[in-house]
Amino acid sequence: MTRLGRLLSYSAAIALIGGTAFAEDVIIGLATGQTGGLAPFDQPSLAGFKMAIDEINAKGGLGGKYMVTLDIKDTRSDTGATVQAAQELVAEGVKVLITPCDADPSIAAGQISQSAQIPTLTFCGTTPTITDAVGDYMFGTYPADNGQAALLAEHAISKGYKSAYILKSPDSAYTLRLPEYFAEVFTAKGGTIAGEGTYGLGQQDFAAEVTKIAALDPQPDVIMTAAYEPDFPAFLKALRGAGVMAPVLGSDGIDSPTTTGLGEIANGIVHTTAGFPADGTPLGDFYKRFTEATGAAPETVYVATGYEIPYILDAAVTAAGTMDGPALRDALANLEGVQVLTGKVTYKGTNRMPSRDITLVEIQNGARTPILTATPDPASVPAP
Amino acid sequence: MMDIILQQVLNAISLGGIYALLALGLAVVFSIVGLINFAHGELMTVAGYVLFLGVLFALPLPFAVLLAIGAAALAAVLTERLAFRPMRKADATSLLLTSFAVSAILRVLFQNGISARPKPVPLPSALSGTVNLGPVHLGAVPLASIVVTVLSLVTLNLFLKRTTMGQAMRAAAEDFQVLRLMGIKANRVIAVAFGLSGALAGISAVLWVAQRGSVDPLMGFIPVLKAFVAAVIGGLGSLPGAVAGGFVLGISEVLFQAFLPEAALPFRDAFVLSVVIAILIWRPEGLIPAKTARRS
Amino acid sequence: MLTVTDLSVRYGQIEALRGLGLSVTKGSVTVLLGSNGAGKSSTLNAITGLAQPRGRIEFEGVRIDGVAPEDIVRKGIALCPEGRRVFPSLSVAENLHLGGAVHARGEALAARVEAELARFPILRERFHQKAGLLSGGEQQMLAIARALMSAPRLLLLDEPSLGLAPKVVDQVFDLILSLRDQGITILLVEQNAERALEIADRGYVLQSGEMVLSGTGKELAESDLIRQAYLAG
Repeated sequence: MTRLGRLLSYSAAIALIGGTAFAEDVIIGLATGQTGGLAPFDQPSLAGFKMAIDEINAKGGLGGKYMVTLDIKDTRSDTGATVQAAQELVAEGVKVLITPCDADPSIAAGQISQSAQIPTLTFCGTTPTITDAVGDYMFGTYPADNGQAALLAEHAISKGYKSAYILKSPDSAYTLRLPEYFAEVFTAKGGTIAGEGTYGLGQQDFAAEVTKIAALDPQPDVIMTAAYEPDFPAFLKALRGAGVMAPVLGSDGIDSPTTTGLGEIANGIVHTTAGFPADGTPLGDFYKRFTEATGAAPETVYVATGYEIPYILDAAVTAAGTMDGPALRDALANLEGVQVLTGKVTYKGTNRMPSRDITLVEIQNGARTPILTATPDPASVPAP
Repeated sequence: MMDIILQQVLNAISLGGIYALLALGLAVVFSIVGLINFAHGELMTVAGYVLFLGVLFALPLPFAVLLAIGAAALAAVLTERLAFRPMRKADATSLLLTSFAVSAILRVLFQNGISARPKPVPLPSALSGTVNLGPVHLGAVPLASIVVTVLSLVTLNLFLKRTTMGQAMRAAAEDFQVLRLMGIKANRVIAVAFGLSGALAGISAVLWVAQRGSVDPLMGFIPVLKAFVAAVIGGLGSLPGAVAGGFVLGISEVLFQAFLPEAALPFRDAFVLSVVIAILIWRPEGLIPAKTARRS
Repeated sequence: MLTVTDLSVRYGQIEALRGLGLSVTKGSVTVLLGSNGAGKSSTLNAITGLAQPRGRIEFEGVRIDGVAPEDIVRKGIALCPEGRRVFPSLSVAENLHLGGAVHARGEALAARVEAELARFPILRERFHQKAGLLSGGEQQMLAIARALMSAPRLLLLDEPSLGLAPKVVDQVFDLILSLRDQGITILLVEQNAERALEIADRGYVLQSGEMVLSGTGKELAESDLIRQAYLAG
């Protein structure tokens, strides 16, 4: 159907139903980057999201009574196009808006839905300031940067590391702030920062930087970074090539087959992830179901975190009994202990970045092993 | 301290070499058809995916590498045949826009046809090793970069000097009309130029992927940008210029990364670009300008 | 040998040549005269395929209008373009090689190079130098030699004496005569009307894209038009 045709039929449907109380059709709008720089994150998130919506519709809809139609707009990973898509979706009367896995377009789109009182969730935006930058209709869904950093720092302290080197890039909030949050928690718990390095996103050449690390005396006990590919593998290769053997801590950005594909030099890396699909866990079962349904295993955990969002919404709609903006917002903000694939999700008492389980995995011989799944202690999570 | 300086100089040469190969790829085509082919990065991506498949199907590495380079060359010739040849008579702006379009189409094809997620290209661990030259460590990949760059430059130079097609390409860069008067087919020279440019993209892609360990649909963007800057520094369309520009860019990137104070490091690229601007003020035509006798 | 009938050339809105007719007899020197912009170079461009003409061009009884420049030279026509246009950063040797590359290979090509070096001894001395470093006269010799590398039956020369010292101009005109004596037909475009007509078997005069006068070299040299326009003073 053309966009115009779809709009007309929606308006017709809305006119017919006229706000009566029986089973309703609602639209959820998605303004996400299905092509361009965010596609690696937004594409898998959408795949999971759609699967969950289909399941929920088959069971009678959100809260048992709202049948969901999706209006999916590709923003080409462009913030301007995201704003435009959000405006169109809001004008169309969507009940919920989903925004990309990135802070800037999410904040820009959120400001539009905020004034229209439409609850808005970011796919896997991790920057903890997203929600406060927009307002009370904006919700995160994914483990936030400060939570990941707190868990990594606790792990570093428990391993007895005394000094850490952090590598950060000012090019994105994720690559800059996550290591800084780590440093904050690590020093608060008695560690020291032996040095800091900087790189440019996509720079890929780390020879100069690792030469400086190799020259540090004494050598740091551990090296922490939120670099992801292509930078992380290039950094690690250069680091080990320069003879630096200190253990490396990373964030969920390296939860990718590329990291395990690095072979021996990846041994001992510990990094955070939203969840690990072990056999017999809900996440493991989901991976099997997804594989059966689509013929291909999920390439990343974003498929699962995308899948969880409709179920989080379902819990909120059930609690609110309606999909009206203010009521749904309040219901979401008061959710507590919602069981999803990767653990429990809580919004109550947070700034709408959820408090939720995060998993630490260790890489050995090309495979990951989960070593800890925990919700970071709110007392040690740094303020955004 | 001495060994650190020596180490950084080697680092700089290694990166400069890759940039030189990238810039050469752009310059070969520009010198002949006046097109800055921004789809050059996507040719690298093609090579990357073929390398990925080669490793996936456990082909012997040298074979997979040759296949990847060949695929990039073939892709370059195909884009010329399908997209650029019909635009042959168009002005420079239309050609440039065509190259943006080719680049965008290829990226979407990769994202929707292969995967938006990076594909791992695990290389043998021997390639992650280190070679110790006295006090200096050199990773296998940077070392390979230096060796491959030197070999490529020597081979390219021999091709351009010793073969009729090579001479014809140099002549085409200076005066294409007169070359056609000599009976040398324009289409063949242009096709060979694209093929050569694709092969250079393939070679740099192999080095690039060896460094990053994965291939993804957008991986060509940054290299083509570096190549463009390097080619402009060197003098657009000049092959020796492209090599010089590549080395200047690579060396200044590494040296600023190595020796800028910590507080200034986030502004490294600004420093690098200041060098670029300074060079262009000093020599607006680039370090080694192209000699073109283009007439109407 | 070459017959041009009702030839017109347009560059966008500009009509550079209108309804030209001319013929070149085998073994002759034919001269095309006219001021700048009269359509001389357009005529040569049309013959060599660099410009897209309307009209009819026949060479040795075969139509060649609309044929690509790469193929014209294979049929036996070579152009030595205006301004010499040697490849400046290529050596003399490379310039010569490219001139003959599609016509001969290996030893045959080497033999052709040798023949041109015998014709132009100065090029032997400069053999490995870049063409751009040669003097104007030497570049003109190279440009002619490069055109001859394809062993043409018809040689088109576009303003070969332009910008050369008088002594070198003499050499160029002597050369044209000796090429004719070796059986190469010549179509010569010149501004130096006096010298050109001395050696011309036949001449044509172009003005603003149209042919205004034709005749033998002698007739033209004596015509009022030529005397006023070109030979005055």
